[in-house]
Amino acid sequence: MIDTLSFWREWLPLLLEGLKVSVEVAFASIPIGIFLGLVFALGIQSKSKPLQALTVFVVELGRGTPVLILLQFAYFGLPSAGLALSSYAAAVAALAASTGAYTSEIIRAGLEAVPYGQKEAAIAIGLSRRDQLRDIILPQGLRIAVPPLLGFSILVFQGTSLGFAIALPELISRAYFVGSNTFHYMPIFVLAGLLFAAICVPATLLVSRLEKRLSRYTAS
Amino acid sequence: MTDIRVDSVSKRYGKHVVLDDINFRIKSGEVVAIIGPSGSGKSTLLRCINYLEPPNSGIIAVGDLQMDCEARPANTDLDRLRRTVGMVFQSFNLFPHLTVLRNVSLAQERVLKRPRKEADERSMELLRRVGLADKSEQYPSRCSGGQQQRIAIARALALDPKAMLFDEPTSALDPELGLEVLTVMRELAETGMTMIVVTHEMRFAENVSDRVIVMADGRIIEHGESAAIMRSPQTARTQQFLHAVRDR
Ligand SMILES: Nc1ncnc2c1ncn2[C@@H]1O[C@H](COP(=O)(O)OP(=O)(O)O)[C@@H](O)[C@H]1O
Ligand SMILES: [Mg+2]
Repeated sequence: MIDTLSFWREWLPLLLEGLKVSVEVAFASIPIGIFLGLVFALGIQSKSKPLQALTVFVVELGRGTPVLILLQFAYFGLPSAGLALSSYAAAVAALAASTGAYTSEIIRAGLEAVPYGQKEAAIAIGLSRRDQLRDIILPQGLRIAVPPLLGFSILVFQGTSLGFAIALPELISRAYFVGSNTFHYMPIFVLAGLLFAAICVPATLLVSRLEKRLSRYTAS
Repeated sequence: MTDIRVDSVSKRYGKHVVLDDINFRIKSGEVVAIIGPSGSGKSTLLRCINYLEPPNSGIIAVGDLQMDCEARPANTDLDRLRRTVGMVFQSFNLFPHLTVLRNVSLAQERVLKRPRKEADERSMELLRRVGLADKSEQYPSRCSGGQQQRIAIARALALDPKAMLFDEPTSALDPELGLEVLTVMRELAETGMTMIVVTHEMRFAENVSDRVIVMADGRIIEHGESAAIMRSPQTARTQQFLHAVRDR
């Protein structure tokens, strides 16, 4: 026990640096991904059939492909197309693409959960289609989508650990590095797990509290 | 002058005929009540008049704006129609994420391109008129049902419509709360607003409206002066309906 604690103390700074990389990648890919999700959600609801079909195709591709493969494609595949990304940029690109594909469904469900009477009222007061969306449907639909989006963001944060496959120096890569140098795999991965949990558990609790607060402002 | 003319209007959902050759005219300043059993097509008729549901055939004319229901409506016509005709829903449908004031100001800014300050001033005037100026900064969920419906009336009046459609505006309300809404509607009628009101409030139909239209199964089965229809209905169907409503 004492041994483990001093072992942890020795390697904690290195793991914290890895955690920092994980947080940075998550904070970069989540907003980009959610923005993509919004664009995809609107594309799927578009009146133009070709645009709709294209969006569905991209979203299904993004959801059907394991993130690990997206990561490797971004890191190893794109250079052959003349676009060499750092492991950092490749991780952000792959996670954002995957986030976009998944959150488009969350956002679409949010938009569809806005009661039809809201749209009717917006039409009846003469708002254009664009204003109906901007002033009435999006603010309410996104508010409904906020809790599941935050929940998904926690998963994306955990997903940064896949960056390990493209040598992104995030938390798990560092833990693996320590493990292979000290042969104490078990304790270092436990510490890595605790660090992830230290962020994810409070975040999950906050999300469910927020969910309760936001539910006050939705139409009945 | 903003007369409303509904000529041979029909509406189907699939094979189900919901409005079958509806005809009537309303003169500027008239108040007309539409009554009839549930499912008879009253809501659909109102929704057809402002094209929330496009009818399948017939003509809808409001003032000098004429909509041929078999043609694809031009956007400019739809915009004009919605500016000319305001609508109030049974379930209020206020925007829950906007304050009361923003609910009333939004269309003025977006549709009439009024600057915000001017729009808010006009909204305050309308809210005073429905007795709710003190609620302007609240969210709708903090208001009672009767207050919400009065706010919805103010919102519909914000584009200075020439006619107003009400779809069972008091059906979702307790009687006392319904009364405050009916009072606002009566005042509105006294200002000379053209109004079509779908209602189960027989006293409103009798005392405030000039004429009553009775619908059943997608048709107009009786149409005439309020007092005449309420006191001596001609069809058995109307008699039956009036009995049922009065016995409630
Ligand atoms: N969107 C719709 N799709 C299919 N049927 C509808 C739709 N809206 C209304 N109806 C049908 O049209 C008929 C008339 O409905 P409605 O106009 O709401 O009647 P009322 O307001 O008099 O109760 C009903 O039989 C209803 O089921
Ligand atoms: Mg109805």
